[in-house]
Amino acid sequence: MTSKNSFLVSSRENHKRRIWVWIVTVLSQLLVYGGMMMIYLSRIRGVYANGGFKTPEAFKQGMCQAARDALGFSDNLYGIVFILAAVIGMQGFSYLYDRRKVDMYHSVPVSKDKRFWVIYLNGIVIYLVANLSGMILGAVIAASQGAVNADVLANAGLAFVWNLFLFLALYHMMVLAVMLTGNRFVTVCVFLCFVLYEYCVQTQIGLLRRSFLETYSEYYISTKPKLSVIYDCTVNIWNIKDAQDAAAAAAISMPIVGKWILVAAAFLGLSYLAYKKRPSEAAGRAMAFSFMEPVFKVAVAIPVALLAGGLVYDTSYQNEMLQVAGMLAGGLIFCTAAEVLFDFDIRSLFKHLPSSGIALVGILAIFSVYKWDIFGYDSYIPAQNKVESIAISADGYYDNYWDENRQYFEKSQFEKENMFLTDTEPVLALAKAAQGADPETMGDARSVQILYRLTSGRQVARAIQTDYDDPGTEELLNRIFRTDAFKKGVFQGITDDTSYADVMRITYTNGAAKTVIPVEEADRLREAWIKDMEQFDFTLVRHSRPCGILNFEYENYHQRQWFVYDSFAETIAALKKLEAYYPMALDAADIESVTVTCFHNELTEQESEVDYGMEPRAVAETWDAGYTDYTVSETFFEESQIAQILPHLYSNWIDAPWGSYKDVDDNYSVQVVFKRDTAYPYERDSYYFTYSFYAGQVPEFVAEATAYTGE
Amino acid sequence: MIEIHNLTKHFEKIKAVDEVSVDIREKTVFGLIGTNGAGKSTVLRMIAGVIKPDEGTVAVDNMPVYDNVEAKKRLFFIADEPYFFVNANAMAMERYYSGVYEAFDKEEFYRYLEKFNLDKSRKIGTFSKGMKKQLALLLGICARTKYILCDETFDGLDPVMRQGIKSIFAKEMEERGLTPVIASHNLRELEDICDHVGLLHKGGVLLSKDLEDMKCNIQKVQCVFCAVEDELKALNGLEVLKKEQRGSLCTITVRSTREEVEARFATVDTIFYEVLPLSLEEIFISETEVVGYDIKKLILG
Repeated sequence: MTSKNSFLVSSRENHKRRIWVWIVTVLSQLLVYGGMMMIYLSRIRGVYANGGFKTPEAFKQGMCQAARDALGFSDNLYGIVFILAAVIGMQGFSYLYDRRKVDMYHSVPVSKDKRFWVIYLNGIVIYLVANLSGMILGAVIAASQGAVNADVLANAGLAFVWNLFLFLALYHMMVLAVMLTGNRFVTVCVFLCFVLYEYCVQTQIGLLRRSFLETYSEYYISTKPKLSVIYDCTVNIWNIKDAQDAAAAAAISMPIVGKWILVAAAFLGLSYLAYKKRPSEAAGRAMAFSFMEPVFKVAVAIPVALLAGGLVYDTSYQNEMLQVAGMLAGGLIFCTAAEVLFDFDIRSLFKHLPSSGIALVGILAIFSVYKWDIFGYDSYIPAQNKVESIAISADGYYDNYWDENRQYFEKSQFEKENMFLTDTEPVLALAKAAQGADPETMGDARSVQILYRLTSGRQVARAIQTDYDDPGTEELLNRIFRTDAFKKGVFQGITDDTSYADVMRITYTNGAAKTVIPVEEADRLREAWIKDMEQFDFTLVRHSRPCGILNFEYENYHQRQWFVYDSFAETIAALKKLEAYYPMALDAADIESVTVTCFHNELTEQESEVDYGMEPRAVAETWDAGYTDYTVSETFFEESQIAQILPHLYSNWIDAPWGSYKDVDDNYSVQVVFKRDTAYPYERDSYYFTYSFYAGQVPEFVAEATAYTGE
Repeated sequence: MIEIHNLTKHFEKIKAVDEVSVDIREKTVFGLIGTNGAGKSTVLRMIAGVIKPDEGTVAVDNMPVYDNVEAKKRLFFIADEPYFFVNANAMAMERYYSGVYEAFDKEEFYRYLEKFNLDKSRKIGTFSKGMKKQLALLLGICARTKYILCDETFDGLDPVMRQGIKSIFAKEMEERGLTPVIASHNLRELEDICDHVGLLHKGGVLLSKDLEDMKCNIQKVQCVFCAVEDELKALNGLEVLKKEQRGSLCTITVRSTREEVEARFATVDTIFYEVLPLSLEEIFISETEVVGYDIKKLILG
């Protein structure tokens, strides 16, 4: 038997005081889940009525997908969860703002512990009951229309857990905000600080790093917020929604939920402590604990000031003096505004100047750290014996990467997980050579991302600028590119043994011809290509361009491209054997015409240079008049002329990984039109193909025919 | 007994209560008098365990009171502006308090409501200020706690209601040893209720005495002496607190018992003399003037 003064009695009494919160919460959840479910299902029914589904099974699948969207992870919901957590958290403990209520509640014989846990747990009960009611209503609507299956229910269960812990983390933040403050306005401010602080600080610090640190890189190591619940939610919700099934959704969502549990637990612990220590006389004051006033002021002034400085920096064409002035002004305005807020008195503008001074000094210190690189960030190169392995990403190549569930992921992630260069010396030498080098003076300045894995277990990321045209750089990159570790860390096609089982189509193209290869040849082609890749190095990819591409197509439009070079004898032999190989150079007999367009970039550049040298008024007049069109096109039909042109063309449809932009002449564009009756297996979807001339290989008669004459 | 020892409380830089030490005996009505800002409410809130003293201790029946449920079970605190739940009526408040105070006497509560003409179903928000105070007092009385702490609760009650509450207090004191502690800025409000009075000024206690003791030990005598020698003889050896002369009529306030004063004046030649009762106000004026304060400014404005 429970005593009259038991926990449950207190709980029931507390619920009576929270009727309107009950109503708002339950109604919101019923409307959201019920409404979303009806809208989503009716949309699918509409599509079905218009013949959008070919089979009843497809329609049922569509209905289930709609039910999953409505009951499962939803970006529509987390805004509502955010608001509910804030409202329930604030309302529950809002008696602390009112001295009359505090006098009553704190004088009655109820322990602080019991009161805290009663109000706290009741808040969770309100949310849980409302959320479950909404979900049950949604599920009943879905079930009545045959739109429920195991995946829908599993996803709904996961989403319930996701939303619950999102709620808890935010709820605890609001409870702590109430404990630290004495009125609603300041509570909301502090709550928003808890929710957004890390994100705002990271963003501002990131801006400073990007502005002032030359080697700063977020390629391998992200400086994204680690504990920001809202950031996690915003960034991940789409990945989770797009997950193939509940298991995939769980794999993404549950680690995040685990993190939220830690965040929620930390905030709950602090809330409880603050409640126990909170003086009753804090009711109505801005901050419950006096010592929190300077802490809050300094902690928020810094990101506010950095933001103000950043805005001034952007709008003043990157004027650093104005940036500093903007930061100090922003910091000072915030500090004075905070004092007014604390006292609700405009006369308090310049109170507590020492803490304002600390904030301003802190702002300048943070700015200085990045502006003058006080801690030697850019000059950091680890000692070779301290480096266990390295991952590197040299600008110039991209591919699609995906996991066993066909979920795409970033190239950086693949490299991070698969590239372990233990011959670290060439990378360190590259980094050393890059120090102090001016990219403006480089022939072909390219970014190289480096991830140092140190023996201590720490990982350090840097970005350096290297000159791909520099022979020394080429030699160092050759040493890196030749290693198996590098190849395995860049080309997923080398390591991914399982991905060939479900190849749906294999094609080879030289930019014009497209031949289909039987899928059973996949393994043989792969073996040949991997063997050819033994000769892969930076010199190969830098000084020769691919003669074609092997394209592997999978379900859901996943594609993987393998570049084939003229020196890839094994691959080319295999392709030839399959009658799938066609060289880059075309046969004039297959071509109807070739249209060459010369842009005369040199004349356009000249015109631009003259513009900038002119008086502003003349510049304005020239701009009003517009630029001269120097483009000249000429079409060649004679087979002999075409035959002279074709050997010098390179397909624009084929990229050259790590290639030099100087290899092809960007002053010309070439359109090649095939004869309709040719047997050449060109891609029939198109009748012309675009090419560029190799640099320095424009035939003289072509240059003459496309010369600009001023007419 | 409530023992208050060296109680000190600051609100930021303001010292609201400064080393207050008072003992509140059981079965007495203790009046806490002081001007606005003297620290009465703060002392009561500390006794009620609402706020924590910076220094000093409050013990209720030898138990510290702050965050101590057992001590708080013996207290009922009625704040200067008692809080009632939004849209609540007397029944709702009874349900809450009977859940919190185990000994809450519901039957008696509803009986008192009828007696005081308070509608149990009417929303408290529509009550007058006086009605709300009555309701708070009735809730406090029916909670059947040993101590009831009233902050300015009697101020503004009409005389009939005051008399009604006073008689309930008397009954409860007799039946179960209730100890009311009443804070007020108005001395006259407490005169007919209190047994013991503590005077607070600027956070400190100016004096704390039993009213009866004070009344018994201070006498006001109006008299017309026949000769100056008679006056000197009558007052010789008595502690004269105040003496006013209007023509031949002397009004003398002395610290002594009525019997002693009457005995003295009987031995000298007087045309007329009479020992008059002192009002609480007059006693306070006399007592505080002795220690250098002008009570009229402090309490009576």
